[in-house]
Order: sequence, then structure tokens, then C-alpha cells
Amino acid sequence: MNITLSGEFVTLRPLRPADAELTLAWRQSQRAINLNRGAATVAQQAAWIASRPESEYNFLITLKSGQAVGMVSLINVDAEHRRAEPARFLIGEEGAVRGIPAAVEAMKLVYELAFDQLGLLKVHGAVVSDNPLMLKWQKFLGMKEEGRLRQHLFINGHFQDSVMLGMLADEYRNNALPRMKMLIAAGRSRAAA
Amino acid sequence: MDMLTQDKEAAVMACIYKAVRSLNEERGADEQIAVGPETCFFGEGSALDSLSLVSVIVDLETLVSDEFGRAISLTDDRAMGRDPVPFTDATTLKNYLLELLAE
Repeated sequence: MNITLSGEFVTLRPLRPADAELTLAWRQSQRAINLNRGAATVAQQAAWIASRPESEYNFLITLKSGQAVGMVSLINVDAEHRRAEPARFLIGEEGAVRGIPAAVEAMKLVYELAFDQLGLLKVHGAVVSDNPLMLKWQKFLGMKEEGRLRQHLFINGHFQDSVMLGMLADEYRNNALPRMKMLIAAGRSRAAA
Repeated sequence: MDMLTQDKEAAVMACIYKAVRSLNEERGADEQIAVGPETCFFGEGSALDSLSLVSVIVDLETLVSDEFGRAISLTDDRAMGRDPVPFTDATTLKNYLLELLAE
């Protein structure tokens, strides 16, 4: 789906094959060590981007300056069961987003797409157990642990649990959204100082 | 300043440093956050992105609650309504935590 989502600090614009070199570098960085293995070459990455189904929302996260800093997707959108999976969330340019609520606003834009624009009732996903930073992040922003598939994924040289997370629409509106707004306000407060 | 207040201040600062060190354990050798009273947590001059800030917040809320036996929140309306917000640096954060614990 080719839509652009615009926030105060970041814009999410559609991921394009021309982004292959940049996103491949991010996927091969140390920060992405706990993600599934992806493409090995720029050509493979470009082909993967080009082959994304129309049902997926794949975004490049850019700062207002235009600098690309990361990627995020909303996939497995299920209109019947009214759920979807935020996925492939990766901040590739950490240095560029220090002190800026880029990650939290990117997630807020994805959740607004899911709950407000698409009218979904649930988002869900999985995080590997070796990624405590991402688990803390997802839970702080409203996800609840719904289960754990033990030694389910062979990632980073060993088997890891897959931690299943989910958040309902009312949990998003009552818990996650206020927290996200507050973190964004914290960035705004300093930016204006 | 009496000894009790000094001890409390030191204990709060120790919690802050512990939360940052916990974050450092998840980061590469070239990504370590300097631990000290001027460590800036968010906004201009910060070494943290929002994922890392959340990690510090979550750990710190737990550490302070365990240390002082009281639940505290660092991301409620009150915290975010302050100018500056409590995350500017470790000293500002310590002072805000002491304020919460004094109530």
C-alpha cells in the first residue's frame, strides 16, 4: 500500500526498491542481530522490497529533514478478524535519533493506521527472547505477553524463545497512546528549549 | 543536609546509575552511555534514542520501587507537565524522584 503517514518528528513513506542498499546495511548491522535473516545482497533486498504484497504497509522512517533513520511495517492485515502485525521495526541510524522521539512516533503512526484508519481491534507480534530492549519497549508501549513458543527460532547462532505479544484497541487508547504522547512531549519540550 | 537526606539522595542516584549500566549491557562497546550526574537522557545533547530511554524508565521505576517500597511513575501527566521534563539529566531526574519520594 502506497500511503504516507506524517507526524511531528518523523514521516513514514512507502519503502521502495531504491531503498535497498540503505535498508540492507541496517539489516546487516549489529542492531538487527535478533531479526530473522534477510537478503544477502542489494539485488536480493531490492527484489524483496519489490515483491511485497499490496496488502502490506512497508515504510521507511524519515526525519523531517528527509534523513532516513529506520523502517517499520504493518503486515498480515486481516479484515475479517480485524487484526494486524506491526513488524520489521528497526532504527538503523541511532545516532541521528538521539534525543528525538522518532521511534515512539513511528510506532504511534503505525498504531493510528491500524486502529484509527483501518478500524482494527488488535495488533500482535513476536519478539525473540534475546532482545530485552525490544521486549521492554513493546510492553511499555502497551503490548501484553500472550505466550511463549519455546526454542522456536534459530537466530544469532542459537535457539531462542519467541515471545508472543498483543494489544487490544482499548488498551491502545487507554494505556499506550497516553504514554506515547508523553514521550513525544518530552522530546518536544527539549527541542523547544 | 542531614545524613538521612544524603543517604536517600545517594540511593536514588545509585538506582539511576544502575538503570543506565543495565542499558549499557545491551549495547556494543562503542555505544556505551557515560554514567554520571550530567548524563542527558532525552532531548538535545542526549546519547539515548527513545527505545533506550524507555529501557531506563522501566528499569528505574522498578529499582526505585524496590529500594523504597513505593510505586512511582516517571511518565504520568505530572512528570511530563514539568518544564524541563525530568529526563534532561541525571541530577534533574534524581531531584524529581526525591520529590516524589518525599510525598
